[in-house]
Amino acid sequence: MSTILIDGRTIAFKPGDNILRAALEADVEIPHFCYHAALDSLGACRLCAVEIKPKNSNEAPRLTMACLEPAKEGLEVSVSAAAAQQVRRHVIELLMINHPHDCPICDEGGECHLQEMTVTCGPPYRRYRGRKRTFTNQDLGPLIHHEMNRCITCYRCTRFYQDYALGNDLGAMRLRNEVYFGRFQDGPLESPFAGNLVEICPTGVFTDALFRQRFARAWDLNTAPSICPHCSVGCNTLPGARDGTLRRVRSRTHPELNRWFICDRGRYGHQYSEHCARLLSPRVSGENTSYHKALNAATTRIKATQNCIGGIGSAREDLEGNTMLQALLNEVGGVFTAFNDPALEAATIAAVSWLQNSAGAPSLIEMEQIDAALIIGDLTAHAPMIDLALRQAYRKGAELTLFHSSPTPLAQFTTSAITVPPREMYAKLSHLCTLINALLAGRDISDDPMAVIAKSLIKARQPLLIGTIETLTATDASVLAKLAITLGPNARLTYALSGPNAYGSALLAPEGNAMQILESVETGKIKTLIVAGNDPFSDPRFGLRWRAACRNLNTLIVLDCILTATAEAADILFPVAAWTERGGTFVNYEGRAQSFLPVFHRPEYLPSAADVIADLAKYLECSRQDVLSVLQDTFPDFQVPAPGTLGSPIPVSLPPISDSPSAGSPLLSSNNSTWQTALMSWYGDETLASFAPGLTSLAPATIAMIEQATATATGIVDGSKIRLRGSADSVVLPVQLNQNIAAGTVGIGRNVLVRLGLGHGDPIELEKVL
Amino acid sequence: MNTFEVLQKNLAHLSRTHPRRRAAAVPAMQNLQAELGYLDDMAITKLAQITGLSTTELEELATFYSLIYRRPPGRHVVQICDSVCCNMRGADQLLESAEKYLHRPLGAITPNGALSVLPSICLGLCDKAPAALVDGEALGPLNNASLEALLQRLQKGD
Ligand code: SF4
Ligand code: SF4
Ligand code: FES
Ligand code: FES
Repeated sequence: MSTILIDGRTIAFKPGDNILRAALEADVEIPHFCYHAALDSLGACRLCAVEIKPKNSNEAPRLTMACLEPAKEGLEVSVSAAAAQQVRRHVIELLMINHPHDCPICDEGGECHLQEMTVTCGPPYRRYRGRKRTFTNQDLGPLIHHEMNRCITCYRCTRFYQDYALGNDLGAMRLRNEVYFGRFQDGPLESPFAGNLVEICPTGVFTDALFRQRFARAWDLNTAPSICPHCSVGCNTLPGARDGTLRRVRSRTHPELNRWFICDRGRYGHQYSEHCARLLSPRVSGENTSYHKALNAATTRIKATQNCIGGIGSAREDLEGNTMLQALLNEVGGVFTAFNDPALEAATIAAVSWLQNSAGAPSLIEMEQIDAALIIGDLTAHAPMIDLALRQAYRKGAELTLFHSSPTPLAQFTTSAITVPPREMYAKLSHLCTLINALLAGRDISDDPMAVIAKSLIKARQPLLIGTIETLTATDASVLAKLAITLGPNARLTYALSGPNAYGSALLAPEGNAMQILESVETGKIKTLIVAGNDPFSDPRFGLRWRAACRNLNTLIVLDCILTATAEAADILFPVAAWTERGGTFVNYEGRAQSFLPVFHRPEYLPSAADVIADLAKYLECSRQDVLSVLQDTFPDFQVPAPGTLGSPIPVSLPPISDSPSAGSPLLSSNNSTWQTALMSWYGDETLASFAPGLTSLAPATIAMIEQATATATGIVDGSKIRLRGSADSVVLPVQLNQNIAAGTVGIGRNVLVRLGLGHGDPIELEKVL
Repeated sequence: MNTFEVLQKNLAHLSRTHPRRRAAAVPAMQNLQAELGYLDDMAITKLAQITGLSTTELEELATFYSLIYRRPPGRHVVQICDSVCCNMRGADQLLESAEKYLHRPLGAITPNGALSVLPSICLGLCDKAPAALVDGEALGPLNNASLEALLQRLQKGD
């Protein structure tokens, strides 16, 4: 490997590196502002001045910007040269001329790059006595606070926001010493990744507005490596807590996953753990009680209904909690599933099985390198950081194709985006599969409108096929996998799963258990139902059945950290620790197990779900009571990875999926006259995050979205009202016409689906309201 | 047809030869400004619909170029260069004396709406430093006396 010398130290560099990148990778500090590994060099701040030793001794040394100078073999660089130091001193002095010097009241204080650089390189005193330039700040919404006077014009914010995350509502306005970073007008930033401005801005221009409400200095925060619980990507986070409350969440670098960033759901969804209706005391029959009494009550009821017990774990419950519940049920003669929706159970198990029986899911950095992708569904809402990874692929020229039923932000970056009604997704994918086979067999398919897509996927060096499982059936997931197989060994397959531990939970119980439990509760065969971190009552398609069925139960035992509809109905309720208050392990969409530590503890005793079940096992005198040994028994070759490491694959394999469609049979095209539903999601749409008021205040309005042509044909106009009737209820909603929704489909939000008792793709009755 | 519609139509023609509508943003702004005198928020919003750029992206362009006005200027506009060459030849004094002479800060319009004086980035008239652009006409080198005479004439003018 080639090397350069920095102040006498030998530093290796990779081809294409500049001096600054090489130095930072080797942990050698060269002062800088505008350079960022994700954004590369700009040369805007001039702080990274270094001196280069001339080749010939009769030439003078040369000052240059380390971020703009390519590293070359044998180059001798000095950061400490007097001339370089002088440049840095002047740069800092210049930047500080207009700076408000408000460090004592600045939220960035203590973790401010400008503060550090000023102390390291700047002059100790101020010479300028004139007036400072001042700006008016903007209201950028509930999540980000704006303080423009602190800006040092490094352009990191707009380079991140526009160039990297492809947003277009934050920009650099005006010129000269009046450059202003903001929006056209006041209003919330629209990008699902806007929160990263808080970390990418080296000063206090953009700060976390929620943290600001309950602020603590960075050095006073308790932190520990954690994993984001809001989707299946498993981004690494560093939450900060103080005085027994959670204050903020920041990103923590994982070199293969989220690297420097997280999405706004991950950053601001944490408010669920500070929600005013947070469960803090165990309850038996609606009365607060002690943990011990609640355990006793649960034990009595479980003993009384031996062999008539069911348990529902969750895709948002960790590996420990799910495994403990499964083990407990094994001992007391019960059935376990991690899903309350049999279709989702089937789809998730199918997805995980296909992943295990293929090359496995690519990491986020691998996804940035693909050159073509077929995306099924709304990735931004189901796995925001996968969306960001694909935006990077798009920037490098990847051709993205999208099949979607409802609007999704990624559509604007695709080569072709096709709206497909949920019930026709299977046919569409099968057709594409046929086309690809035909093309590969040398047949001419050019008169087919999807030929371009087939060709783009075939000619790609590395095509990616990715589906969002929550809006797909098991058979849809399987056709996607078959597409990948057809495309050959270079094709990559992956799925955005339904929760942070969906992969891990899918390994624990066979498909069919969810339906078996539901039916057994309905027939009264199951008398006691234990639910850990799940909310069957709020399932869009099955919620109604669960509610009705649960009236037959003797006892509903719920373990959760949020007050869901199911938790409210519980006979025995165990409040458990939120994710930042406990340790555990999630298995992400790749099958990567990642562990996390508790960041802090609340004054109340809040065990994890796994702890509660372990205690129950003790009270019931079960033979297996210890979390670690249960994990060991269930996953014999698995070592829980240390928190803060890169994680490790979970070595379990599911049997391959057979070809015959089983429980998750495809949603078949209904006759054309009926409407079907499509889930309309947004990036804050997730169970835990729905308890985070800051984030949910940005939720889109409750409307029904219909495609223009279908609407015209049925005489529905934009802004008019329609009545939607489902199996549970009917609602009247204003209509919005939109091109990005499939024909014959009504796009509605999750809350409305739950109210109507309908799932994604279910038939729905629609009538005009006059 | 109003100005917006004309623009929209022109841009529709353009797209065959110039598939990137974004490239038309600045000419479109100039067109609209020639018609309206300046671009208000409403104009920016309309331009966003026509060009496919976001309002923020248009605002970036509009506020970067000194010849695009986001506020109404006077009937006559004097833009005095304050970049390096002109500054070295006394542009700062010219700007100061314009403020004094008109009794108002740069950018403000004189009471009868006749005149506004604005600073400008280099006009490419460095050989005539200190230079100014007067209603689109190059002028320079200026001194205090010639500037005052000019301002007086423009104020009295129409
Ligand atoms: S707002 Fe922050 S990130 Fe943006 S240019 Fe100013 S200092 Fe840099
Ligand atoms: S992408 Fe998923 S895991 Fe990553 S920060 Fe967002 S919600 Fe959390
Ligand atoms: S980091 Fe090199 S100029 Fe800013
Ligand atoms: S510096 Fe004034 S015209 Fe160039």
